[in-house]
Amino acid sequence: MVAIELSENLKEEMKKLREELAKLKDQLRDVTEREQRRSRGIYIDVGNRVHDYVEDVMESVAEGIHGELEKSIFIGPGGVRIIKGTVAHREEEEVEVNFPKAAEVMSALGQEHRLKILKELVGGGKYINELQEKLSEITTSTLSSHLKVLEEAGLVVQEKVRGRYLITIPGRTAYKMATRITRFLERGDQE
Amino acid sequence: MIWQNYQLDTTTLKTTETMTLWRTEKGTVEIGKNTLAIPIKLNDQRKGYIFHGHGKLLLDTIVETQEGAIGKPVESELNELFLMLGETEEIQQHLSTATKEDLTKIGYESEKGFIEKAENLFDHFFGNMRMHNHQCCGNNYGVIFAFPNEAGKLDTLIANGSKLVYKAMNQVFVSNDGKVVLKTPTEVIVSGDNRKSLVIKKCIFHRNH
Repeated sequence: MVAIELSENLKEEMKKLREELAKLKDQLRDVTEREQRRSRGIYIDVGNRVHDYVEDVMESVAEGIHGELEKSIFIGPGGVRIIKGTVAHREEEEVEVNFPKAAEVMSALGQEHRLKILKELVGGGKYINELQEKLSEITTSTLSSHLKVLEEAGLVVQEKVRGRYLITIPGRTAYKMATRITRFLERGDQE
Repeated sequence: MIWQNYQLDTTTLKTTETMTLWRTEKGTVEIGKNTLAIPIKLNDQRKGYIFHGHGKLLLDTIVETQEGAIGKPVESELNELFLMLGETEEIQQHLSTATKEDLTKIGYESEKGFIEKAENLFDHFFGNMRMHNHQCCGNNYGVIFAFPNEAGKLDTLIANGSKLVYKAMNQVFVSNDGKVVLKTPTEVIVSGDNRKSLVIKKCIFHRNH
């Protein structure tokens, strides 16, 4: 029930933000028109840049909210998934971080080849020779040791019978997190 | 009793080579050479065996979802007695009479000790399963395994072609072609052909006092 309430609240928040965005757009249009009138024909396209900036901010806020929503409710093509219990108090959740495990996961992620392996597995389970074909710059023995590290960190699981490697839910989340942080930092560099 | 037609033979046999008792893309059950075996009969026909020796169970109780894989494979050594019902013709060709030395290697002082333990497992299994006929054990009716677990109960594996049910102490895994249901102590995952899935997690609320 708490998860449903939270999702409703978040949806409401998103709705409000969209309305805010619409208002900001209107105000922006007014400012731009005034600027145009004041500049007497010398038109500087400040409006579009500000507009892009606002859009970016709103997008990142919406993304954050969506992320929160995703934690409690997953709405996928397969239907709705409610994860009860993740609505625990955030502060407490932060205190209860298993630091050794978190460090292990981060360490497993902290290698370019391992990130590339995760990227390949996001598309579906693969045999080691399929991974080898895709990642020809990595030798077989190095590939095996990278897979072992990823497996020990719980980011990848290997089938015992067929031998395929599969990315786990934590693995997919970790990969997504790594790509998001990178995107965020790259955006920061550009600014 | 409903299962009275099933009988445990008194012949103690052993495997003459390593054998794969069951294998699909989801799992495999293998037993090593010199594993002891007692046939299970129904109307004088062999319908299965109770084995004791060295073997291995591998089972990929993993569910692939669009968000990633859930579950871990089962990999256990079969060093205790276990029961199998299913196709026996192939197995019969790789069995011979067990000697006292064969029994000693597995830890029995005499044949009696092995038969007693096998009877206990036989009674445990048929007492629980309440099987009313042997249809599941015919040529095209799949295979059943029962492995005693630490809790004194039986982990069961029932397979027929690509259909599979595995019930163990901490999990239940059901697979039918691409459709899978996995129940663990903390969640239930239902997954379809195209990796679409439904995950229901156990409710654990943290409270601030």
